[in-house]
Amino acid sequence: MAALGVAVSNPYEQQLLTIIGIHTLLALGLNMLMGYAGQISLGHAAFFGLGAYGTGVLTTHFQWSPWASLPAVLVFAALSGYLIGRPILRLSGYYLAMGTLGLGIIVHVVFREWDTLTGGASGLVGIPPLTVGRLIVGLGRSGFFAVWATVVLFFVLCGRVVDSRIGRALRALGDSPGAAAASGIHTAHLKAVIFSFSAVMAALAGYLYAHLLGFISPSSFDFLMSIRMVTMVVIGGMASIWGSLLGASVITLLPEWLHVFSDYEMMVYGLILMVVMIFLPQGLTRGVLDAVRRTRARTASS
Amino acid sequence: MSGQHPFLTIEGVSKAFGGIQALYEVSFAVQERHIHALIGPNGAGKTTLFNVISGAFPPDEGSIRLDGQDIQGRPMHELVRRGIARTFQNVELFGSMSVLENVLVGCHSRTRCGLIGAMVRWPWVAREERWARERAMELLEMVGLADSALKRAVDLPFGWQRLVEIARALAGDPKLLLLDEPAAGLNAVETEKLSRLIEQIRALGVTVLLVEHDMNLTMDISDRIVVLDRGRKLAEGTPREIQSSDAVMEAYLGKKH
Repeated sequence: MAALGVAVSNPYEQQLLTIIGIHTLLALGLNMLMGYAGQISLGHAAFFGLGAYGTGVLTTHFQWSPWASLPAVLVFAALSGYLIGRPILRLSGYYLAMGTLGLGIIVHVVFREWDTLTGGASGLVGIPPLTVGRLIVGLGRSGFFAVWATVVLFFVLCGRVVDSRIGRALRALGDSPGAAAASGIHTAHLKAVIFSFSAVMAALAGYLYAHLLGFISPSSFDFLMSIRMVTMVVIGGMASIWGSLLGASVITLLPEWLHVFSDYEMMVYGLILMVVMIFLPQGLTRGVLDAVRRTRARTASS
Repeated sequence: MSGQHPFLTIEGVSKAFGGIQALYEVSFAVQERHIHALIGPNGAGKTTLFNVISGAFPPDEGSIRLDGQDIQGRPMHELVRRGIARTFQNVELFGSMSVLENVLVGCHSRTRCGLIGAMVRWPWVAREERWARERAMELLEMVGLADSALKRAVDLPFGWQRLVEIARALAGDPKLLLLDEPAAGLNAVETEKLSRLIEQIRALGVTVLLVEHDMNLTMDISDRIVVLDRGRKLAEGTPREIQSSDAVMEAYLGKKH
């Protein structure tokens, strides 16, 4: 990744890779909740927006330094994630989908309508960039490295969580909630904890997004964004850390590549998603791995 | 003698679902380190009673005492910590996990690494993880599945899956083990092995309460038997007493044989 960061000097490509990094953080956090613990959220853009607007409001209206607003935003996301997660995750299946959908819509409306604080539909401008000494972290190479260093850190952290007592408890919950409870897992607490964890990751992604772009508007944190996050997880592969990277990359790059279809862009996009899901229902990661294994087995046998 | 100490006391427990009275004023006591069987025709309320004891739902009336303490209505994860473990009639293993991981989940209540601990990996977390793995492997040795530790649990033959479930239940270091039809779906050889395993578990100091349809197994290993019929306790006694009871023969054994 570092080599890629040095090699790519075209600002457009640098920005694209930075956005992929931010999306990877979102997908990875949501995958911990959806892929491992088996709990869906159709409103996770709310926490992405909470991170972005939280730091945006603190640094513009209240002149906080971005470094001071970072812990504030993350702690707020953790607490609100737990407190919202505890009651909402009593629901399951379709009902949980509806509940989280409602959460996403409410938070989006707050971003749009509370215009004295958020700037309303026209957005919040003048968010200061992160600075390290005299270095200003912008959308160029510095932003690329800041985002991808964060992604690598969370790859390690999430890998450790998955391979631990908590990771096993999450998968137990996803596999069989009844047997998980009978094994001594406090399921209501665990669900809220992982919801809170994924909220923190989404808020961190929002924080980076706000400070890199310097401008945010409610449309980046709407229902469609929540759906895109779910799509990244599902297309990449549920319960797969690498799948989150792959899913985020595909869902970010696909629209860029599909510009050649101009008016038909969204149709082709939808069609590709359908084809992937029909032929690789386990997601791209598993699908590709299985294909490799099959080819290898065929060459071995012939 | 320690055998005279009532470890689990069920007193006047009733439970209704809608208009159906699944349990009606059921009372009995299970002595410490006994193997206690619960028998009765289908729909007698055996599994409902298991669910009430293990905390899946509270009884409508009555009390349940574990080692002298009231436990009715307590949440399941707390009861596991207090020493109640159970298996399921239809085997509920974690499908995405290996045999070893399934048993490791059973260690959940005896370990304490949280989300932060998992991310930071303090030295004590690594020690705890090693301890849990050793414990899980010991239990797999005990049920004879150490060689299959890394296989996916749901790929094993059904009889072995039951053993994985028992190992998982034992991993929480229970004082009371509830076995819901452990011999269902097992052949004669497997059933014979199972009865020796249950006796071995009792020898570890665990009190066992089991629901079972296999009469040979039940009569062979139980210290006491409670017969339920349509939610009520019909009889209670030693296997010999139960076998010679006319009421039981009529309600249950008589119909079956």
